[in-house]
Amino acid sequence: MDSLITAAARALAAGEPLAALKRVALRDDAPALALRGLAMAQLGDLARARELLRAATRAFGPKEPVARARCQVAEAEIALVLRDLGRPMQMLDTARTMLEAHGDRTNAAHAGYLDARRLLLIGRLDQAERMLDGLDTDALPPTSRAGYWLVAAGIAMRRIRTQPAKAAIDQAARAARETGIPSLAVEVDRASQALAAPAARLTGRNGEQLLPLAEVEAVLASDALIVDACRNAVRAGPTVIPLVSRPVLFALARVLAEAWPGDAARETLLIRAFGARHADESHRARLRVEIGRLRVAIRPLAGLTATKRGFALEPRDAGSVAILLPPEEDDHAEVLALLADGEAWSSSALALALGVSSRTVQRALDALAEGGKVESFGRGRACRWIARKEPGFPTSLLLPAPTITG
Amino acid sequence: MKHAPAEILREYGPFPGVDGVHGVSFDGNLVWFATGERLNALDPETGETMRLLDVTADAGTAFDGTYLYQIAETVIRKIDRETGDVIGSIPAPGNGGDSGLAWAEGSLWVGQHRDRKIHQVDPETGEVLRTLQSERFVTGVTWIEGEFWHGTWQDDQSDLRRIDPQTGEVLAILDMPPGTGVSGLESDGRGRFFCGGGNSGTVRVVRRPGTPPRS
Repeated sequence: MDSLITAAARALAAGEPLAALKRVALRDDAPALALRGLAMAQLGDLARARELLRAATRAFGPKEPVARARCQVAEAEIALVLRDLGRPMQMLDTARTMLEAHGDRTNAAHAGYLDARRLLLIGRLDQAERMLDGLDTDALPPTSRAGYWLVAAGIAMRRIRTQPAKAAIDQAARAARETGIPSLAVEVDRASQALAAPAARLTGRNGEQLLPLAEVEAVLASDALIVDACRNAVRAGPTVIPLVSRPVLFALARVLAEAWPGDAARETLLIRAFGARHADESHRARLRVEIGRLRVAIRPLAGLTATKRGFALEPRDAGSVAILLPPEEDDHAEVLALLADGEAWSSSALALALGVSSRTVQRALDALAEGGKVESFGRGRACRWIARKEPGFPTSLLLPAPTITG
Repeated sequence: MKHAPAEILREYGPFPGVDGVHGVSFDGNLVWFATGERLNALDPETGETMRLLDVTADAGTAFDGTYLYQIAETVIRKIDRETGDVIGSIPAPGNGGDSGLAWAEGSLWVGQHRDRKIHQVDPETGEVLRTLQSERFVTGVTWIEGEFWHGTWQDDQSDLRRIDPQTGEVLAILDMPPGTGVSGLESDGRGRFFCGGGNSGTVRVVRRPGTPPRS
């Protein structure tokens, strides 16, 4: 590295982006462009930061693959914060492989951590966990260690495993303290709050109550038969019968659970499961078919008996029946769940994360916006959506500045 | 042109609190190395740090027998090695793109990193007397018994190369092992090179070819 690059990198590492810019503002060589990009990112101008990093990537070119890969990792981190999960995120894997091959353990580990964050964000928990497990944690820059533990906490929370989530948050708090960066401490606090906040509503014979994650976990571990509307499944102990792809069956199961230990009337089942206004003979025939299917699906956990009025749920071993609902019931809970990270999402990123069409997401967003649950800013391709709720996901921008130019 | 592997005799560091070594010099007893905000003086026999000077030290370091020279941002400073006082400064020829500094026979020799150049500079005025072109990024320059050597570091590969100071022709190349960068170069005047190890935070000793092995 040359003298001004050294001086600028030192300023950046000390958290003085303006001092760094002062030294390289007029230079357009590749390392200077990269450092200007990192400085702009620290100053919060992510759009400009991204342009500069792209220019740096081009300027380094194929003859300096390692420096180029570092710029791509930095660009991917910005893309992640902007929730642009397209092309820049796809480059991440190639960049990580390149850095690993050239022995740049620090930046390779940072790239792996970013990828784990991306995977968690789009709900690929197994892949996210594999990525975290494979990381060279010793090589991780101190500033991304807190984020690493927050990703681990996020995976545990989504899997409803409270103890590991708590342990990971403690580790994150320790890592954040060691860096002394206040924004990291704030993020760890947010994750703690998310862990303590109501994660679900339980309704059963004893009425309705809001449960934090730890109690959700306890309920799931109990011997109750649970109709889980958070994940659209019927479960008891270790047996989980997913009905995500069979919404009619799930709706029937839910009505039957609400009626338990009594029975549910045919009319109620028809109205709730099919949206039928009245029950004619063809509806009754369809109900018989769907009840037959539900009976087969949930056979390991419960039977279904016909009654005079309709049908009744009969758990096999479970002592009680309960329904687990999201803390707030919403038609578009899955969209809100993604926006709950507090970041600004594009509708296309949401569609990608949810595996549905852009039109479907757009309809959901419009409905949520009408209800005052989300808001948007920007226009056209730059339009972003945010929830009005508190986030719980690492958002920090902590590019490992001094090592970018090698 | 002869290619040979560089023989690393010894490695000092990584030193606590040192993120990168940006320049190296030798005053006959101590190895001076630049680490951003400081100049550090190392006893090459014991490996102990003997002195610290609080001067900005972003790139190349040199010694003229009396004074230290140190590149800081866009200037080359002349420094009293006893007190750390800055005696004077001249503009660096690369205007901040400078990397590598050596003293020889009344001139300063300055590497210009990505431009792959080496300038011979008047130490009083900063006037560029001559410019050589290298094939690779220049990260350190030194003279040893009439031979002119410079370090390179590009695309994650480093070497030490001897060039003809008149024509720039490459006469010999010592390839550094993979993952071993050279961010500064100085000789002890005889059989050893001292090399800055960049962000590894180390200083390495490399045997000069044609001299007997020693530890």
